[in-house]
Amino acid sequence: MSAEIGGVRVGDSPRRVGGHGRVTGLQRYVADLHLPDELHARLVTVPVARARIIAIDASAAERAPGVRFVMTAADLPQPMPRFGPQFRDRPVIAVGETKYHGDPVAAVVAETRDAAEAAVALVRVEYEELPAVFTIAAALDPGAPLVQDPSLRPGDPLASTNVLREHRVGWGDVDAATADLVVENRYTFPMVTHFAIEPHAFVAAPDGDGIAVWSSIQHPNWLQKILAQILGLPLSRVRVFAPDPGGGFGGKQHTKYEPLVALMALRAGRPVRLVLTLEETFQAVRRAAAEVRVRTGFMADGTLAFQDIAADYLIGAYADIADRVVGKGSYPGCGPYRVPAARILARSVLSHTVPSTAFRGFGNPQVNWAVESNLDAGALALGIDRLELRLRNVARRGEAFIPFDTPADGHWEQPLRRAAELIGWGTPLPPGHGRGIALGIKSGPTTGLSYATVRLLVDGSVIVFAGTSDMGQGARTVFAQIAAQELGAPLDWVTVVMGDTSVVPYDQQTSASRSTVLMGNAVLAACREIQAKLRAMAARLHGLAEASVGVDRGVVRLPGRDLTVLEVLVPGLGRLGGELVGNGEMRKDAEPDHPLGGSAAFFEFNCTAVEASVDEETGDVTIARYVTVSDVGKAINPLQVRMQDEGAAIQGLGHTLMEHYVFDETGRIRNLGAIDYRIPTSLDLPLEIVSEIIENEDGPGPYGSKGMSEGALLCVASAVGAAVREAIGVPIRDLPLTPERVWRALQERP
Amino acid sequence: MSDLIPIRVTVNGRARAFDVAAHHTLLEVLRDDLQLTGTKECCLVGECGACTVRLDGRIVDSCLVLAVESDGGEVTTVEGLAPEGGLSRLQAAFLDEGAVQCGFCIPGQVMAADDLLGRVARPTVAEIHEGLAGNLCRCGCYEQITAAVKAAAEAGPG
Amino acid sequence: MQTFTYARPATLAEAVATLEAHGPDARALAGGTDLIIRLRDGSVSPSVVVDLKRIAELRPGIRDGDGWLSIGATTVMTDIAADPRVARQFRALAEAAAVVGSVQIRNRATLGGNVCNASPAADTAPALLVYGAEVVAVGPGGSRRIPIGDFFVRSGETTLARGELVTSIELPVPARRMSAVHLRRTRRRGHDLASVTLCCGVDEAGVARLAFGSVGPRPILAVDATGVLADAGAPAEAKAEILERMYAEASPSPRSMRASPEYRRAMLRVLGGRALRIAIDRLAAGE
Repeated sequence: MSAEIGGVRVGDSPRRVGGHGRVTGLQRYVADLHLPDELHARLVTVPVARARIIAIDASAAERAPGVRFVMTAADLPQPMPRFGPQFRDRPVIAVGETKYHGDPVAAVVAETRDAAEAAVALVRVEYEELPAVFTIAAALDPGAPLVQDPSLRPGDPLASTNVLREHRVGWGDVDAATADLVVENRYTFPMVTHFAIEPHAFVAAPDGDGIAVWSSIQHPNWLQKILAQILGLPLSRVRVFAPDPGGGFGGKQHTKYEPLVALMALRAGRPVRLVLTLEETFQAVRRAAAEVRVRTGFMADGTLAFQDIAADYLIGAYADIADRVVGKGSYPGCGPYRVPAARILARSVLSHTVPSTAFRGFGNPQVNWAVESNLDAGALALGIDRLELRLRNVARRGEAFIPFDTPADGHWEQPLRRAAELIGWGTPLPPGHGRGIALGIKSGPTTGLSYATVRLLVDGSVIVFAGTSDMGQGARTVFAQIAAQELGAPLDWVTVVMGDTSVVPYDQQTSASRSTVLMGNAVLAACREIQAKLRAMAARLHGLAEASVGVDRGVVRLPGRDLTVLEVLVPGLGRLGGELVGNGEMRKDAEPDHPLGGSAAFFEFNCTAVEASVDEETGDVTIARYVTVSDVGKAINPLQVRMQDEGAAIQGLGHTLMEHYVFDETGRIRNLGAIDYRIPTSLDLPLEIVSEIIENEDGPGPYGSKGMSEGALLCVASAVGAAVREAIGVPIRDLPLTPERVWRALQERP
Repeated sequence: MSDLIPIRVTVNGRARAFDVAAHHTLLEVLRDDLQLTGTKECCLVGECGACTVRLDGRIVDSCLVLAVESDGGEVTTVEGLAPEGGLSRLQAAFLDEGAVQCGFCIPGQVMAADDLLGRVARPTVAEIHEGLAGNLCRCGCYEQITAAVKAAAEAGPG
Repeated sequence: MQTFTYARPATLAEAVATLEAHGPDARALAGGTDLIIRLRDGSVSPSVVVDLKRIAELRPGIRDGDGWLSIGATTVMTDIAADPRVARQFRALAEAAAVVGSVQIRNRATLGGNVCNASPAADTAPALLVYGAEVVAVGPGGSRRIPIGDFFVRSGETTLARGELVTSIELPVPARRMSAVHLRRTRRRGHDLASVTLCCGVDEAGVARLAFGSVGPRPILAVDATGVLADAGAPAEAKAEILERMYAEASPSPRSMRASPEYRRAMLRVLGGRALRIAIDRLAAGE
């Protein structure tokens, strides 16, 4: 008799695990947590882009009712502790100089929020405003003030410039390459911010002889390491709690104010909480703006001869992970195409602005905007259909389109053809409409390490320990589905524990769309270990050789009959009860000679196609139809996959149509907050959105899955921009395509 | 410190009496004084809708209402929408349609959707978009949220 | 935000007395959708906030009679947009009220607050100008009526005297049939502050009224009594000449980050032309 593999399976779309708490308001985000005896902190900043701090007089603030103390650089260990995921350049609090509008110089700690807020105004900061550089041109000017002290980069020839690093990738000989047509243009990508609906929140509390920290952090283990370093504590005495963030998108990956809050908590001997205002989040995290020059060589038949790309990314005053963004983001900049010769030079350019950090797409959208738009320019000049041009050049599965990296790992012409079909490519367009089609590619994780532990309890329920951060992408559900399937448990009998470094084993990070592959495989491996134990148990109970016992997901198969997991587990554990524990690990080691430190575990690949019209009197862009097709290998939860792709598309419409920081002449941000920084609302949607996936089960993750969630954002601007160009007959090379910008292009139309 | 003003408000069906500072918003009082943390803080300027509550029968941004203004009134928060320990039909629809990602905007979205369905039994997609236009979702879940509201409308009140 | 004394007068006389006593140190609170933002960002720091919503004589509501439609100052935008009398006779005002913001904002924002705030981009201002509204103000010296055209001075400033508050906004039922429309420009389709806001009305006698806001320190009304603008068949150049003279009053700020002066001027022209055509069509259709 054979037992059914029933219940929720991989490939189903059950309700999101953790969804109940979200729809009822019962889920606790960091700002919803309150500890007994807690104190409240607020940050003190100066209202200029850059300043030399002359003196800070906190005496009036410290005398104010309810104020415990004010922390400044002078109160911190000397020399000032510095941290950062790539360079230890960022001080715990500004010392000597504020380097961007919003760089905190002091923090007030008080008994109530009111007292802290009132005291901020009483902190007297004597400062001298200094000239700031906040554009690429200004930062690169030979006479520009240096954003970073050269002594932070000893021996680095670039230390006397504002170029933090140059990244060069290439193959073939671009200068010797012949081409029938060369198209060269310059494109710009705006400075935008994450605007997660949950502002960053941090709580720290002394915890015995150690410290406990709650943060909306995406990488709890990274944070733990940095805190341990700064506080001089062993990792075992630093406990990081990471409740599910209310949106991250990369802006909550790396340490920001946690060290400051921790030091304040240790000084106070009590919990201290700091919750940023939305305005403060704009001053804490953003995406790098970029200027990209592309010179593309085409043969007459549309095949690519070469790509010559120079991308300058404007990063902030501290590196955070921005330089990695530049290197990794520009690296596949030629796109998913066969390019015989390529040269990419990408530079991270420091500026007196908010530190840029990871943001969904990780440096790829900026180059994609330029390179895809330039392909269209070439197609137009050659008289070749833009879809046809891409079909001719797109790499086929197995081709080493980047010579020293993972070969093309998907049948990429499939999403391209499917998206073209769904947008009606080649069918007659209504007057005033245009179509665009673009491809986006991004390298997945290049190295990685994830551990998972799974416990199968005596009643058949399961606990999965996985250190991934579920910030809405649905990681919890993915891991629960895997465990439910492999161990035969109903989905609601699987609990996923995340976000506690004292309890959950190590996970390197949640980024690069890595978690389904890296942590998913670790969870799967842990389940396999339990399955092996079940096999041994069944063999022992029934006097069989282990080799004759199989465990096929939730069913134990003996010769001649099948048993459920419980029918083996309960007698197997016997009167003492207990549980079966499995540990899993997925590791991708570094390749030291690789430009990115490792080849891509997989590529995220997306094709986006758009039909749009433009109101030529006002410049308004209307997207009549929006199509997105991603190559995902296998959708563990198809509904979640669709939500990620459509969500990425809508988020990408932000930087495409409306989002940008506005600065004044001195480098101060003018549009802090929600009134003058516009993101898409329910009224800003395309008239129709169609999203599909290609599932060839050809990924390295569980059941042939690949990572996804960034792919659908990569070429939003390129596809929309192309449609607009066709609609109005002139290209626009700068984003966002606000009504005013489109209107100006129309005014200048010959 | 400022004087406290005694107010009486019915919150989620329960009569409450407590003292508030004049300058504290309804949002702050709900979250900090009444520990009803389901209503969220985000923009604090009435743009994002994360703080949406129902006040005297209409949805408002609670960040723009002083707590004292609610004196004598009735407030419903997301915690007051579901039958004890359960889910309203609208909340269930949100889960079934995949309208929830990070979840931070969802209490506000659910409050706005609940309000809309109370006014318009079978809203069109355009009416849903307009009714929820004051609720930002950065995860970009608008399509699924719209589908959830439609599904809940078709299922009827509950 | 900083603390203040919260006053909740029960009568108009009490409210007036409090406002007069404190002058600029007091702020009236109606819907709060502007005031609370300013209290939070510190751009105003009154010692007294006077809540108008419990004043017996200031109950929200819309009443008609004696040839006037009287809208209580504390009436919220939701109710103005939904009122059938407003929709029928003062359609552009209903249109304006419907776009003041989201449902949540419209449920709180009041007409009195919108006019007293005197933002150049106040959405209801152009319609009120076209309809010839009058503001009824009550103060220490008694009650008076202020034509809306005399009410706005510049951003944030009205002609209200110390201690005065607006009790209602009155719209005269026009002797001649007039059709009007409200249009605006924003940076996205979602709710937004307007970078141009405009109302155009034409009446049976051929008078065309064009009011626009957010293109200068205060909203402006221009009137064409020649009949040319209102005439569907009049030549485009003749209309353009009149419209250009009207638009010449616009002085959009070069410092605005929402839109450049060139774009605002261009959109003024686009919206003006569109609004005129819609108003003419509506009048012809008997709306």
